[in-house]
Amino acid sequence: MPNLTINGRAVRVAAGKTILDACRAAEIYVPTLCDDPQLKPYGACRLCLVRVDGMRGLPSACTTPAEEGMAVTTDDDEILEVRQWTTRLLLADHPLDCLTCEQCGVCQLQEVVEYIGVRDRVLRPMTRSAKVDMSNACFSVDMEKCILCGLCVRACDEIQNLGAIDLVRRGFDSAVEPFGGGPIMGSICESCGECVERCPTGALAPRRYLKPEREVSSVCPYCGTGCRIMLGARGDTLVSARGDADSPVSRGRLCVKGRFGSFEFVTHPDRITAPLIRQGEDFREASWEEALALVVERLKGYRGAVFGGLSSAKVCNEDNYVFQKFVRAVMGTNNIDHCARLCHSSTVAGLRQSFGSGAMTNPADDLLDAEVILVTGSNTTENHPIIGLKIREAVARGAKLILFDPRRIQLSEIATLWARQWPGTDVAWINGLLHVIIRDGLMNTEFVQSRTEGFEAVEHVVAAYTPERVAEITGVAAETIAEAARLYATAERAAIVYSMGITQHVTGTDNVRSLANLALITGHIGKPGTGVNPLRGQSNVQGSCDMGALPNFYPGYQQVGDDAVRAKFEQAWGTPLSPNDGLTVTEMLPAILDGKVKALYIMGENPVLSDADISHVEEALGQLEFLVVQDIFLTETARFADVVLPASSYAERDGTYTNTERRVQLTSPVVRPPGQTRRDWEIICEISTALGYPMAYASSAEIMDEMRALTPFYAGISHARLEAGEQIHWPCLSDEHPGTPILHREKFSRGLGQFHPAEFIPADEQTDADFPIVLTTGRVLEHYHTGTMTRRSQGLDGLVPGPFVEVNDGDARKLRLRDGDRVRVSSRRGSIVLPARVGRRVDTGVLFIPFHFWEAAANVLTNPATDPTSKIPEFKVCAVRMERARN
Amino acid sequence: MTRLADRAKLEDLRGRLVSAFDADKRRLFVCMGTGCRACGGDEVLDGLEGALKGAGLDEQVEVVKTGCRGFCENGALVTAQPSGTLYCRVGRDDVDDIVAKTVARGEVVEHLVYRAPAGIGVPSGPVVPREKDIPFYRHQQRIVLGMNDRIDPTRIEDYIREGGYAGLAKALFDMEPEGIIDEVSRSGLRGRGGGGFPTGRKWMFCRAAEGDAKYVICNADEGDPGAFMDRSLLEGNPHAVLEGMAIGARAIGARQGYIYIRAEYPLAIERLRIAIEQMRACGLLGDNILGSDFSFDIVIKEGAGAFVCGEETALIASIEGSRGMPTSRPPFPAVKGLYGKPTNINNVETWGNVPHIVNRGAEVYAALGTEDSKGTKIFSLVGQVNNTGLVEVPMGMTLRQLVYEVGGGIKNGRQFKAVQSGGPSGGCLPVEMMHLPIDYESLADAGAIMGSGGLVVMDETTCMVDLARYFVTFTQNESCGKCVPCRLGTQQMRMILDDICEGHGTEESITQLERLGESVRMGSLCGLGQTAPNPVLTTIKYFRDEYLAHVREKRCPAGVCEKLFVATCSNRCPSDVDIPAYLSLIAEGRAEEALRSHMDRNPLPSVCARVCPHPCEMRCRRETMDRPVAIRAVKRFMVDAVDRVEVSVETRPEEERRRVAVIGAGPAGLTAAFYLRRLGHEVTVYEAMPEAGGMLRYGIPSYRLPREELERDIARITDVGVNIVYDTAIGKQLSLSRLRKQYDAVFLGSGAWADATMGVPGEKGAGVASGIEFLKLVEIGQMERLAGNVVIVGGGNTAMDAARTALRLGASSVTVVYRRTREEMPVEPDEVTEALEEGVKFEFLVAPVEILRDRRKSLSGIRLQRMRLGEFDSGGRRRPIPIEDGFVEIPAAHVIRAIGQNPILPRGGPPVSNRGRIVVDQFTLATETEGVFSGGDAVLGPATAIEAIAHGRRAAEAIERYLCPDRAARFPWNAPRTLDTAFDPSAPPANTPRREAPKLDPAMRRNNFVEVELTLSPEQARLEAGRCLRCDFGKLLVSRDEV
Repeated sequence: MPNLTINGRAVRVAAGKTILDACRAAEIYVPTLCDDPQLKPYGACRLCLVRVDGMRGLPSACTTPAEEGMAVTTDDDEILEVRQWTTRLLLADHPLDCLTCEQCGVCQLQEVVEYIGVRDRVLRPMTRSAKVDMSNACFSVDMEKCILCGLCVRACDEIQNLGAIDLVRRGFDSAVEPFGGGPIMGSICESCGECVERCPTGALAPRRYLKPEREVSSVCPYCGTGCRIMLGARGDTLVSARGDADSPVSRGRLCVKGRFGSFEFVTHPDRITAPLIRQGEDFREASWEEALALVVERLKGYRGAVFGGLSSAKVCNEDNYVFQKFVRAVMGTNNIDHCARLCHSSTVAGLRQSFGSGAMTNPADDLLDAEVILVTGSNTTENHPIIGLKIREAVARGAKLILFDPRRIQLSEIATLWARQWPGTDVAWINGLLHVIIRDGLMNTEFVQSRTEGFEAVEHVVAAYTPERVAEITGVAAETIAEAARLYATAERAAIVYSMGITQHVTGTDNVRSLANLALITGHIGKPGTGVNPLRGQSNVQGSCDMGALPNFYPGYQQVGDDAVRAKFEQAWGTPLSPNDGLTVTEMLPAILDGKVKALYIMGENPVLSDADISHVEEALGQLEFLVVQDIFLTETARFADVVLPASSYAERDGTYTNTERRVQLTSPVVRPPGQTRRDWEIICEISTALGYPMAYASSAEIMDEMRALTPFYAGISHARLEAGEQIHWPCLSDEHPGTPILHREKFSRGLGQFHPAEFIPADEQTDADFPIVLTTGRVLEHYHTGTMTRRSQGLDGLVPGPFVEVNDGDARKLRLRDGDRVRVSSRRGSIVLPARVGRRVDTGVLFIPFHFWEAAANVLTNPATDPTSKIPEFKVCAVRMERARN
Repeated sequence: MTRLADRAKLEDLRGRLVSAFDADKRRLFVCMGTGCRACGGDEVLDGLEGALKGAGLDEQVEVVKTGCRGFCENGALVTAQPSGTLYCRVGRDDVDDIVAKTVARGEVVEHLVYRAPAGIGVPSGPVVPREKDIPFYRHQQRIVLGMNDRIDPTRIEDYIREGGYAGLAKALFDMEPEGIIDEVSRSGLRGRGGGGFPTGRKWMFCRAAEGDAKYVICNADEGDPGAFMDRSLLEGNPHAVLEGMAIGARAIGARQGYIYIRAEYPLAIERLRIAIEQMRACGLLGDNILGSDFSFDIVIKEGAGAFVCGEETALIASIEGSRGMPTSRPPFPAVKGLYGKPTNINNVETWGNVPHIVNRGAEVYAALGTEDSKGTKIFSLVGQVNNTGLVEVPMGMTLRQLVYEVGGGIKNGRQFKAVQSGGPSGGCLPVEMMHLPIDYESLADAGAIMGSGGLVVMDETTCMVDLARYFVTFTQNESCGKCVPCRLGTQQMRMILDDICEGHGTEESITQLERLGESVRMGSLCGLGQTAPNPVLTTIKYFRDEYLAHVREKRCPAGVCEKLFVATCSNRCPSDVDIPAYLSLIAEGRAEEALRSHMDRNPLPSVCARVCPHPCEMRCRRETMDRPVAIRAVKRFMVDAVDRVEVSVETRPEEERRRVAVIGAGPAGLTAAFYLRRLGHEVTVYEAMPEAGGMLRYGIPSYRLPREELERDIARITDVGVNIVYDTAIGKQLSLSRLRKQYDAVFLGSGAWADATMGVPGEKGAGVASGIEFLKLVEIGQMERLAGNVVIVGGGNTAMDAARTALRLGASSVTVVYRRTREEMPVEPDEVTEALEEGVKFEFLVAPVEILRDRRKSLSGIRLQRMRLGEFDSGGRRRPIPIEDGFVEIPAAHVIRAIGQNPILPRGGPPVSNRGRIVVDQFTLATETEGVFSGGDAVLGPATAIEAIAHGRRAAEAIERYLCPDRAARFPWNAPRTLDTAFDPSAPPANTPRREAPKLDPAMRRNNFVEVELTLSPEQARLEAGRCLRCDFGKLLVSRDEV
């Protein structure tokens, strides 16, 4: 802890800090334009020059370590003279369009000029003409305003670990450019905006931004990472978003969606602000009284198994709790499910069987401690970008990355080993790895003996999966299989990260359990830097499962079929409950067609785009006798509804979200709900009360309290603790319990870890002469789910304005396709027309289509065949054909 | 090559190599440095080998390929041993001569031997066959480059034979790491890359730093323009550098070394690769070197040649694969360097010194050099110097010695102007700094730096503003762009310098450069930016006048800044006569227009056609083709062809007309009067003598300037209405104070009429006169005959005029005595030639000590002391030094001293300098007395007519501005030129040879005062004028009126 004096004042700072840090600690202003506490010292702007007794010249405060006994002067005539000339130089190199500049008022150059006190323009302007690059829909690039502080380049390198931009050329011609020059959109830029956030001038400026009056911390409404966002508002309008540097999840980082697409949709004119009642083909606005009366009146006739409820992974735990309680206690059925069925139901099933808990075993920051990271079926940098950053950071620090993915994704570029398995062959390659581990004596025998059971069955099955045989099935070279096994097994700490590339198969549960086998056989679980980590897809998908928005579980994965459990809930809720497991979402639709389910209440879901085989879904919705949809927009699904109820968005309500690493986070409202919109749980409570089951909560905290009283592993998680800033991962068994970042430390939730053997089973639908190509689906960085929110962000929609199909350039050549040509892709279930994106992201014989776009919905094509255990459809593999489309 | 398992094996090998080497064997050493190879060294090598084989001598005579010998200017170089004869500029065709004469018969091939450069009036210098006698080599002390002349850099055996790797062996087996560092510290070795940080201390820091791995790096990213020290050392003796690195690694505790070298040095890289392979094969690199526990390896990293990578931290970033950008220090590389490990970086030359120090001991090394700068330093001496090349000299040698003794002085007899030391990071030092010893502190104190050793010598044709612009452009282009002061400051400085060079600068521009430069120096992150302003700041410091000429007069004295002059010839003319204009008019037969153009700049064309030393011709670009245009001869034709010419005289309204008095009807006064009159003022000239012309009439004999020609020029001046009052001298009939009251302004052009005395016994008395006095007497007819022996003392124009006049008056002999040699004489070389033709005798290297008189006190002779030439003085001439007891006496009846003149100044006149000259503002010629201006010899001391004329016009312009400050100054003679002569820029230049004006035969002229020089015929004049290349064509000038 060096002691130094600054301008005669004694200052004490932590070891390893710079003079500038010390000045900041002492609240002494030193002008700077290139320093950022999150980035390494750089020393380029030369404005923080100070005098240090005994040192030659004027060292820069931002780069000079603070040392014991230093005497620092931050201002004197000579320092001022140098700073003034440096500032004059900057001004001579800067356009003078301050009043019309995006950065006006928040420009740091203005601030520094003001402090240093340059009021003249004695130097001749140095003309540096550059065209404004407007290629990126989220931000503009104006190199005329660039002062080359390097913050953007360093943020891209050090924070984003990408290096999409760099300094090029020398001298006055120095500039920041993407590789090879050209517009930023032609580069590998991920539009995360870390650069924009830091740009001190208007060189990198968001296209839509107003200086906020106030900022409130919230949780990003998109993926399951749970990054915290400082949402900025003016009155009731959201005008800005930036990362919340205090958040341990994201440390201020955000991806393109969080930074540029998290606030615009909230005040979008498409928001439904009043209840709507069907009138022929259309809707009419109605009062709450009328709409609720109609809903209550109709629902009275559909109690029991004819009713189904779809909850939402985008609403808070409290909303989910109330909704499932409503379905179970009021409507008298366990027909409650939500879209987790479509993404990680196989995880919930599989990991529960293997470990006793179906969630991420370790927190995301653990990846930074891993020696080896095995990523499979997760396009992490696009779908969980901030977790992707942690993987990139780990690799930059020296971790080895093993990637099994049929597509050439961004992680392929940094992977130590990238294997391109044929879609739908995951059990085979995992068995191959297990085979090599056993064969080469790389297993953790002690762990297997003391902590697991069922190993022999696996040993028996994988004996047949020699690398050579695996190579035949998967297309991955035998040596690669062996090398991957060696890398994973011999590491001190190895973590597995996976996502829907593993889960969305008819063998989804097998896939998950096989990955669990890998962790069990090597003992890479229950310790920092290890684990089996499914990345959950939506902001509260973990929470909605935890809250029991599932047909077979009450909150906290308490079995519906368990009499004792049911008795507990019957007592708590004061009503008898159905002992039978309800229908999954994938079962409900056929049940509708069979006439078994007649009424549906959908809260914040859009199955018309998100479920497999859309025409089938549409047919089912059309057959319903009564459909209520509660949402913030008139979604594709809402169009089928009899009544549409306007809900509040994430920025307009309080509540808790549980992110993918089981961390529970509380948010508070930023703006008032627009129009007549209401919080989801309030709407449900009113309906419930009207239906004769009074539900009245004074606040969402009260809901939380009721829930945790019934849910042991949430027992200690209260709004009060979260408000106090505690970071709690469930299980948290009491108010004193600190939470459990790492699961299965001493023992597995189920006791011993259970090995589950799996034989390779081919995908449900195989290619043939008519449908010779394999289609796989997924998401892109810039959009989220069915696009309800992201496509209402001009920035995000501008970045990826429409659907496309990724085609291998070899396949494209055969059809004489050029990039952008329109093609028709057809499966046995339907066909869509969309432009081709030709490249090498997919292998020959494989197509990829993101499912966000209603214009060419990928799920028109997908196969509704499901995994027998978890009922998850096989989104990742179906057989299609492709032909040129006429324009 | 066998692996040397231990130290004894190395010494065994060395012993065998030495005993097998026959020093007396005939050998031809052929330089294979980049320079000599570019001059055809490869062909010479092949040719020699072939020729020796052909002559059956290939067994007896060995051909050795060596590295750079430094004398690259004279490549390809071949040295014949054992005689030590150096052959210069050897081509393929010379090979047979060398083999036939030198190898076979031991003779010297005359035409290949070094010849000292020609001096003024000396067509060629002495011949120096032996390498070690050549001045270029004689003054050097080659320690680091020492082996370059005798080893083949691709043969490790040669290096070992000459003592190579003994230092490493000593460091491994006889010394502890601390001991090595101590030895290097005591040697006083400092970083040769330019910083001058003590090498031992640097090593100690790195040794003391904690780290599991450490690195040593050799910085071979030599980037100064014109510098090639490192390249030559690596090409010529790579092992010395590698051995130095190994010793350093052992001292520091490093196991891995890197050589960061620019890819533009392919030959150096190749030689390094070969050397490293040989080291490995011999067990001198790799694990357990020479059987010791020391293991070390070296990797070559090729850089893309970025100047900023000379900066340690940028170099490290580049090796690590990042953009070569420096980072702030601390942390220093010694603590946190390559890959975050302690790292020691030294320059090639620094490493090259190490084996010598370890081998010979610190004391031997420290015996060379100065108190704080030890050893030698290698320089690449380039620019306008006779001997360019690579030199190694002991620290402490003066810049003057380096330039004049090693470098052989300035090319083409031009004037030394400045030396740039340290490249773009260094500074420009003027002639006043030439006494500085070469050491780190002296150079730094003067504003320059030692740098890595680039030394660029510049003469009068270099514009210092342009030079500063060149260097700042270089640093601007090489700036990594990271920090603001460097990236933008150098650009802004360049823009300001552009402004100045293009005529848009003001005095504020200079102030801005100084303040900005200082801020860039203080504010920049790394050495590149911190030193980038040096060339700008030092040129302003030492050459401010030149900057002022650019901003105040829109004039580039050196004739470099294109927008500021019509052509180099006219720019060189002190009075800026538009030479291309009158040449092109003459070429078209338009003599009257030509003369009118001339009158706009110089109203004394007849005078100048005869007596002007025509400096214009020295800057005629035609010289690069064949020979300069005979400008003065064409002018002579012009004035002979046209008698009178109309010039414009402004008619001013009464209220704007002023009265000006001019004192002295010499060239300065007449010119000032002429131009003031043309502006419409009333001008009265007061002349002390009965006739006008001043020194032109009374100081220049009529055989050079016929009086009727002088009259013609004067008549043109009086024709415009200039009134001359004769026999009216200031201080006698006139007083300055009264004139100041009577007139609105006064121009003082009273000349320099007082002569300097020799100050020797016997000087006072009959028979001794001053040259000026003598010529005046002749002019006014008071001396018509002169008998007996005449001795003239001096070497200037007056001495020559007096000598030739004395001869014409009938002297029986005329001897000119001069204390230096003919080369140093200030007189025009032509004059000496003409004097010799007429029979004047010369005695050089003698100085008068006594005027001898007989008992009757009449003059009998002169006693002279013999002199020799010593050190160079600041003007680049050798100083004469008396030789003790060396005396000579010459009988003489008359002694005329012509060793200098001084102004005679009126009482109550303006303040004068300690040299007795009137102090004026150099641009306005205003004296410190209000309303009084002065010019000509009164200000300059004895100078040329054209300089006085230039002053006259300059004064006229300044007086106009002084008299009418509210009136926008517009001078008709400065109006934009409209020249309608035909010129076809695409046509080839006229192919006619230079045509000099004919001269009277010496026999015809030595007894009379008939004009010596004759004139060209009209046809000849047209042809000669047509030789002009018209450098002025298409040029748009900045108006000089906008000052």
